[in-house]
Amino acid sequence: MEFIRNFCIIAHIDHGKSTLADRLLERTGRVSPREMVTEQILDDNPLEQERGITIKLHAVQMEYTAQNGHTYTLNLIDTPGHVDFSYEVSRSLAACEGALLVVDATQGVEAQTISNLYLAVDAGLEIIPIINKIDLPSAATMLDTVKQQIIDLIGCKEEEILLASAKTGIGIDAILEAIVHRIPPPKGDPEAPLRALIYDSMYDPYRGVVVNVRIFDGQLREKDKVLFMATGQVYEVDEVGVLYMEQHRTGVLSAGNVGYFTASIRRVRDTKVGDTVTHAHRPCDAPIAGFREVKPMVFSGIYPADSDDFEDLRDALEKLALNDAAIHYEPETSAALGFGFRCGFLGLLHMEIVQERLEREFNQTIVTTVPNVRYLVRRTDGTEQWVENPAQMPEPVKIAEILEPYIRAQIITPTEYIGPIMQLCIERRGTLLGQQYLSPTRVDLSVELPLAEVVFDFYDKLKSISRGYASLDYEYSDYKPGDLVKLDILLNGDPVDALSTIVHRQKAYEWGRRLCSKLKKLIPRHLFEVVIQAAIGSKIIARDSIAPLRKNVLAKCYGGDVTRKRKLLEKQKEGKKRMKQIGRVEVPQEAFLAVLSLDDEQ
Amino acid sequence: MEDFVTALCHEIELRRRDLQRDVTIETIFWGGGTPSILPLPFAEKIAQTIQQHFSVAPDVEWTIEANPGTVTVEKLSFYRQLGINRVSFGVQSFDPDELRFLERIHTADDAIASVEWARTAGFDSINVDLMYALPGQSIESHRRNLEQACLLQPDHISAYSLVYEPGTPLYHRMQRGEVIPQTEDKEAQFYLVTSELLAQRGYEQYEVSNFARPGKRCRHNLLYWRRGEYLGFGPSAHSHCANVRWSNVRSVKRYIETLCAGQYPIAHLEHLTLQQQLEEEIFLRLRAEGIDVHWFEQQYGVSFRVGPLARQWAHLQEEGIAVKSASVFRLTKKGYALCDTVTVELLHLVEHALPQAAETIL
Repeated sequence: MEFIRNFCIIAHIDHGKSTLADRLLERTGRVSPREMVTEQILDDNPLEQERGITIKLHAVQMEYTAQNGHTYTLNLIDTPGHVDFSYEVSRSLAACEGALLVVDATQGVEAQTISNLYLAVDAGLEIIPIINKIDLPSAATMLDTVKQQIIDLIGCKEEEILLASAKTGIGIDAILEAIVHRIPPPKGDPEAPLRALIYDSMYDPYRGVVVNVRIFDGQLREKDKVLFMATGQVYEVDEVGVLYMEQHRTGVLSAGNVGYFTASIRRVRDTKVGDTVTHAHRPCDAPIAGFREVKPMVFSGIYPADSDDFEDLRDALEKLALNDAAIHYEPETSAALGFGFRCGFLGLLHMEIVQERLEREFNQTIVTTVPNVRYLVRRTDGTEQWVENPAQMPEPVKIAEILEPYIRAQIITPTEYIGPIMQLCIERRGTLLGQQYLSPTRVDLSVELPLAEVVFDFYDKLKSISRGYASLDYEYSDYKPGDLVKLDILLNGDPVDALSTIVHRQKAYEWGRRLCSKLKKLIPRHLFEVVIQAAIGSKIIARDSIAPLRKNVLAKCYGGDVTRKRKLLEKQKEGKKRMKQIGRVEVPQEAFLAVLSLDDEQ
Repeated sequence: MEDFVTALCHEIELRRRDLQRDVTIETIFWGGGTPSILPLPFAEKIAQTIQQHFSVAPDVEWTIEANPGTVTVEKLSFYRQLGINRVSFGVQSFDPDELRFLERIHTADDAIASVEWARTAGFDSINVDLMYALPGQSIESHRRNLEQACLLQPDHISAYSLVYEPGTPLYHRMQRGEVIPQTEDKEAQFYLVTSELLAQRGYEQYEVSNFARPGKRCRHNLLYWRRGEYLGFGPSAHSHCANVRWSNVRSVKRYIETLCAGQYPIAHLEHLTLQQQLEEEIFLRLRAEGIDVHWFEQQYGVSFRVGPLARQWAHLQEEGIAVKSASVFRLTKKGYALCDTVTVELLHLVEHALPQAAETIL
């Protein structure tokens, strides 16, 4: 155990986490430079590479011979790089003794770094601060400021900060030495009852779920009967090993180490992140602290573009859920969209990932509805109801009170953007809880906001008003009552359930008006007039209309034009399949997300 | 030129030889390009070849397309002698600026003279083609063109809204912003002015762009819109026979070479599925005289009297797009202008309407 080091990397998007990981792998010989053809080996999901973020956790074990002549086993546990996955981050931090804090020399500390750093400090991890990208020409001017930020944040000494360029390889050796000498070895008793923390798991179609664990006490061997303490399920272990770039079977894992096991487990959701694995016949006294059930926070309807494809979509969601324990889905029916699913996600990014995976990996053409949060409705008869779909909101007369979830947001921004950011937060019904100057030019704003207001393009707005400099992180706080109403959209008098939204009463008129005008632009002209109305209950609060189409006919169609004309019409007919029928009105699929881009109108 | 005519005649002979059954030619149409520039001896040779190899009905409708400025009274008389009895003039406009925009070499006076000469030569059916909704054109200018055309008292008028066909120079000019098309609403206005004015002057609309005095509808074009059979000869010519559609190569050179080698110069050939036949039936008939719903039901087993098609038809009648009728699904003046949208609606509704068994037979 003396020669094991478990650590992770904390960094903001683009600050070079993946590049640094790649460089460590290369330097320890885990991958040869020849294998480094695609940069950033650990981000193997194309979505991850595109967005420069890590969604799925990875771990890799390296062997490093230090300058003192000893060979150390280094376990790098990757952490997801997004607020949607902060619980997963906390669990992978719990599996480590140390963390590399990577800060971009030209950017400084960002909100996401801070929140993950606090998690790491809370978990008692040894922090090794690294300033990355020092080779960039603009690094020199910022370096002292960034150093000071780090010193202020973690109270370290200036000489403890390492300077590196993961891209060019500067400082990599110093980092490896620091890992060995500054991060403490794991503690634990190999003879004690087994106590292992699940920090990740992934589905393998041949062997079932591959569970990634950190062993705190005891030993895990093949053929052991293990108990999952949160779910109460018992399995027999098939295979045990450590993770190199691929799985490497060792048959046993001992206290202090990190590795994987399989036990013919059918679904990822049976292996909950944060759960404790112990021996069935000799269980440990208490599970590892910090486990909680992950609950979806953002919901959206997902429908097949062509209603005939419902079964295909169900299969795709089932397969996707094999590897994504966080997604929740259940069938729902919409008058407008037909049969589909109401899906619950950890957050907006998670939602986007699921949608993109459905389209890319599973070739589904889907229509998604505007995302919403989960509301708690207190009825006049004293009962309570959770509402995950605006269409299910009870009639106004039956509602005593609607409660909505709030978040505590942490926004770090250069001081010159405080004004516009505060204005944005106030528009979104936010309350400033506090502000703290990280340096004379950077401030950390703590704001409480309704989650629903963040769901609608808050992050994009924040980025655009701060020219990309402000960073955001948040945690869920609690439910609070709000003066909320259901806004319905009617097309030629027919309500479109999939377009209903829950909004704050004071915003309803403005929203209704803008939504009508946006839909007017998106819905094509028909053979008849299309009237678009926004309503609260039976009260119409906004109206717009689309004049009927007057001319659409090709002037000539003679003997030589028949085939071409048929193909042209067939193409137009195919185009109609991308439309959803509301009464006689055809609505293009992008209209169901129209609310999200309402601000474009301004 | 001689090689071309030889090849053309050869194609006619070849086709006749391979035709399985006896056919009587009801209509002949010489068009596409400008057949009136063909030297008369060649025209005569082609006419003779047709008459020699096919039996031509005594009441044949035989049309030639001609551009004003390419004909004389003598030439027209000669056509009459060959048996041609209908002439179609590409007049397009009587306005010098509009003619220039359309790159026409003739003048308004040429057009007027041509129509007179055709009458002198003894043609009993004369058509005038007009073009409207040109960039910048006013409704008034179009109305003047229509009035002027009516003064010539043709038997038939084809009035076309300008089309920006992808690949044409006009299309590129539009894309570069050099010409700005009329708006949809303005085009609709042009269209209604056309139908209403021509109706007042005694021309019945029987297709999206075609108007005729009673008894003077173009039988040849009606054949297209009724999915009739026709044989096309010459480069790019299209044919339709026994639910097969084919077309010839475009290149004149390749056309001649292929026929010299004793082969058909076919570029594309397609066997129509029952579904495609049904679709054609709808979009072609809807453009013109409409769909006899009883006949359609018998032919395809698809009903306009019950189900989604019936509901759609009822809506369209209410909205003044389809003529109120229990037996024929036909478009109104307003409806003709929306023909393609209505067609796509119907095609969408009949997508799975065919009885399964019928589809598998083919």
